[in-house]
Amino acid sequence: MLKERKCGVAVIGGGPAGLAAAISAHEVGCRDVVLIERDRLLGGILNQCIHDGFGLHRFGEAMTGPEYAQRDIDRFNELGIEAMTESMVMELKEDRTLLVSRRGEMIRLRADAVVLAMGCRERPRGALSIPGTRPSGIYTAGAAQNFVNLSNLMPGKKVCILGSGDIGLIMARRMTLEGAEVKAVFELLPYSSGLPRNIQQCLNDYGISLYLSTTVTGIVGEDRLEAVQVSKVDERRRPIPGTEQTFECDTLLLSVGLIPENELTRMAGIAIDPVTNGAVVDDDFMTSVPGIFSCGNVLHVHDLVDWVSLEAAEAGKRAAAWAKGDREGAAGIAVRHGNGVRYTMPARVSGGKDVSIAFRVGAPDRNRYLVVTADGREIVRQKRIRLHPAVMEHLTVKAADLKGCSALEVSVQ
Amino acid sequence: MSTAYDIAIVGGGVVGCAIARELSKFTCRVCLLERELDVSLGTSCRNSGVLHSGINYKPGTLRARLAVRGNAMMDELCRDLKVKIKRIGKLTVALEKDDMPGLERIYEQGKANGAPGLEIIGPERMRSIQPDVEGIAALWSPSSSIISPYGLTIALAENAKANGVDLRLGWGVTGVEVLPEGRGFAVKNARGETVTAKLLINVAGLFAAAICEMAGIHDYHIYPCRGEYYVLDKRLDGSLRTLIYPTPNPKNPGLGIHLTPTVDGNILIGPSADYQDSPTWTGNCAPTMAQLREEGLKLLPDIRISDYIRNFAGLRAKQTPPEVGGNADFVVEDRADVPGFINVLGIESPGLTSSPAIAEMVRDMVKAHLPLLPDPSFNGVRPGSDLLFSERSPEERAAMIADDPDYGEMICRCESVSKREVLDALNNPLGAKTFVSLKYRSRVSMGRCQGGFCIPRIARLLYEEFGWKWEDFVDHSEGSRMFAGKVLNGGEH
Amino acid sequence: MSEHREYTCVVCPNGCALQVEVSEGEKPQFISATGNLCPRGLAWAKQEVENPLRTISTNVLVTGGSLPVVSVRTLDAIPLAQVKAVRESLKQIVLKAPLHIGQVIADCPAGVPCRVAVTRNVPAVG
Repeated sequence: MLKERKCGVAVIGGGPAGLAAAISAHEVGCRDVVLIERDRLLGGILNQCIHDGFGLHRFGEAMTGPEYAQRDIDRFNELGIEAMTESMVMELKEDRTLLVSRRGEMIRLRADAVVLAMGCRERPRGALSIPGTRPSGIYTAGAAQNFVNLSNLMPGKKVCILGSGDIGLIMARRMTLEGAEVKAVFELLPYSSGLPRNIQQCLNDYGISLYLSTTVTGIVGEDRLEAVQVSKVDERRRPIPGTEQTFECDTLLLSVGLIPENELTRMAGIAIDPVTNGAVVDDDFMTSVPGIFSCGNVLHVHDLVDWVSLEAAEAGKRAAAWAKGDREGAAGIAVRHGNGVRYTMPARVSGGKDVSIAFRVGAPDRNRYLVVTADGREIVRQKRIRLHPAVMEHLTVKAADLKGCSALEVSVQ
Repeated sequence: MSTAYDIAIVGGGVVGCAIARELSKFTCRVCLLERELDVSLGTSCRNSGVLHSGINYKPGTLRARLAVRGNAMMDELCRDLKVKIKRIGKLTVALEKDDMPGLERIYEQGKANGAPGLEIIGPERMRSIQPDVEGIAALWSPSSSIISPYGLTIALAENAKANGVDLRLGWGVTGVEVLPEGRGFAVKNARGETVTAKLLINVAGLFAAAICEMAGIHDYHIYPCRGEYYVLDKRLDGSLRTLIYPTPNPKNPGLGIHLTPTVDGNILIGPSADYQDSPTWTGNCAPTMAQLREEGLKLLPDIRISDYIRNFAGLRAKQTPPEVGGNADFVVEDRADVPGFINVLGIESPGLTSSPAIAEMVRDMVKAHLPLLPDPSFNGVRPGSDLLFSERSPEERAAMIADDPDYGEMICRCESVSKREVLDALNNPLGAKTFVSLKYRSRVSMGRCQGGFCIPRIARLLYEEFGWKWEDFVDHSEGSRMFAGKVLNGGEH
Repeated sequence: MSEHREYTCVVCPNGCALQVEVSEGEKPQFISATGNLCPRGLAWAKQEVENPLRTISTNVLVTGGSLPVVSVRTLDAIPLAQVKAVRESLKQIVLKAPLHIGQVIADCPAGVPCRVAVTRNVPAVG
């Protein structure tokens, strides 16, 4: 009853990361790639991101999410790669066996290599401990985006948004454009984590107020949402008593963080980095389990899809090489995050090739240097006029500089 | 549906549904009137889901007797109704010598009440049950168990309906007229609809005193007392193999804040206890939430912030005001002053445990008024299984999928709920169509992402395949619409 | 009287932080700007102050397609002040599937010269 199958490279997830990985694996010679996607369409989250700004670096134009996805989907189809859509991976084992559930059948798929490209989910209300009742009308910003853009459903008419990251800002504009009154955007931190362009084009353009150092401290309404209570917070992000304000609204959108979907990753016993919540990988994007690779948002949350595609293409290439039997040496050089840097990816590099280290800084800053040291010796120094946690940075380290070293550190100075 | 009944049960919580199911064994015509759009939506869906052993109640009280009897009835009931029950037992722990007299007291109390299998055990035996448990001794009560309280309520209601009970949802009682010449009662709702019944069984929970008032009985007042909870992620499943409670301290009545595993693999922290005026407000308050987090961490230091997935609160129907506190005994009475009015009031813990025993007691009260002839067509077995699809082996699942392709399509990713289960939940025998009705029957949206992934997909499923309109989507009540309209009008959908 | 504003230029990926002086009042006029690495930034800042231009993305109704609506975007920038009017006028359009990326479905919505194109392929069904 359980259908048994084998394949060379199994790619879990058909969003931009999965597509790029599958295409790349095929292009380096693997003719046995299977991509597994739980939705009806390929394209992942890009399908609901109808705003533009995607592809500036990769294609030199600012296109919308669906258009960006279609570029990869067209190439994917052109190459004739197999995609199992409306199929969900229920289990992943350390020996690279997948259990896939789809309409009418259950498949046990044994793969020579696996690429994890599952993307993220949004942080829900329950994870924030917001006091008050549980009326209808509270949605994560992404769920609301899905309703509006894919189902032609309006979640509400009078909206408040918690979280000024790009998703929250984009939805402020989207809801306003479709006739809702967006009363305010609240941000816990003293600065917005969204791009300055979005503050201008999503808030300022429409006269929507941004309240910094503010969070939602109460929900009112037993049936449908009636109002939210907000409070100012102190430097330790705790609500300050006496600063409460009430905003009448029927909808609260939450844009309070993305969490990499690493349930399958944990199931396979793969080591997870507690800062990124993604797998710990080396410069081949291989995880702690041989033959299982990770890329895209499930590895670490990206700000630009262009980098997702680049990263995933590399991961796909390495997965195909692994499947073919090309095994490179262990990556023995540790990569650490130093002063001012929140995390670095990958966690280990081999030193046998040039490598691009991705990282994010911990706080906004101006006129600083990004520095990479190898065993304390400076090997890279780059000036940055502006640094922001919302922007993913990359620095390239040359193989020549890695000879004989045991640890790298990336810091802000 | 006819409007003349032998018996009208007011209240569709676990006790009301247990009574309905019990009475459906007979040929009398029974209706159950529930104010919400589904059963179990009051206190019955908002509690710890614990079946108590009987150690905590004073011998001779109704609570003591009905809890022990109800607990004993649960194996057969759950088997017939296909409700998951886990007999995980309980350790009531003495942390230090001063706790021992209290422990001995409840041991004796439990024995007097007939609680089965009680033993006082030492640290070695305690740790064989729960490896990291602290304490010098514990009372082991093997009959303490966990169950899904809304699962049991729904199962009782469905079986009652299958056996002929008229279940009227969205039927809030606004008036009770005592008919002359002992003809019974005429009960009406806000829409002006009326049903008549010879007997009225008042199981209205938080509104039981209000129903009494309508019938001219002024002896009672219900004081809602809120218990708040945290729901923890299934990552911690397995941390608690049994129930662990501290030895009761007479200075703090009630069982205190503790950790309870659920039958589905989550852990609950709670409940707190705060009196309030509203019989419907079930929100959470910041100071209480902080207290729950603090207590939770003390009991399970491994808890991370990412493990908190949801909060909820339930209201206890207390008979005593805040200045008195404590726990009054259950009221299960056949009123002499209003003949035919059977009053079941003040059912807080152990109400869930006692529910089938209360039903037996009420049945016997009914017998004094009406002849109860057994219905030969009664079938106490509910179709289906107590196992979730996701709990079956891959081979079993593959077989079920081959048989019914809808089992293969996943709708809720976090809880691995298939399209078939969502459709079954949608087509439930009670005709309940709220989102929480779907949730309580299939577990959609009860996982980590709390519906972020599945709600848009469920909306599309209902919209595209079942022709639902945007206004049909309600969360838990008529006033809790999920959408405000279409973005663009004039299209096909 | 002048007012000080900070803008992030969007002409190229450099994203220069511009310090802009504008006149106060209902219709602010561009006075001067610093922080730009090239003259395009100055031109952009002037435009942004006096007549901000925007591109918008929204949905249009579809019949006979696999989706009820199709995403579209303006290929040419339009004045911010006309965004609402343009969106309203697009509500009058109902497109028939199949639809292809790049298909222009309007070229002067609400009298504003601007091409509006489909951004998602929608196959026909049924």
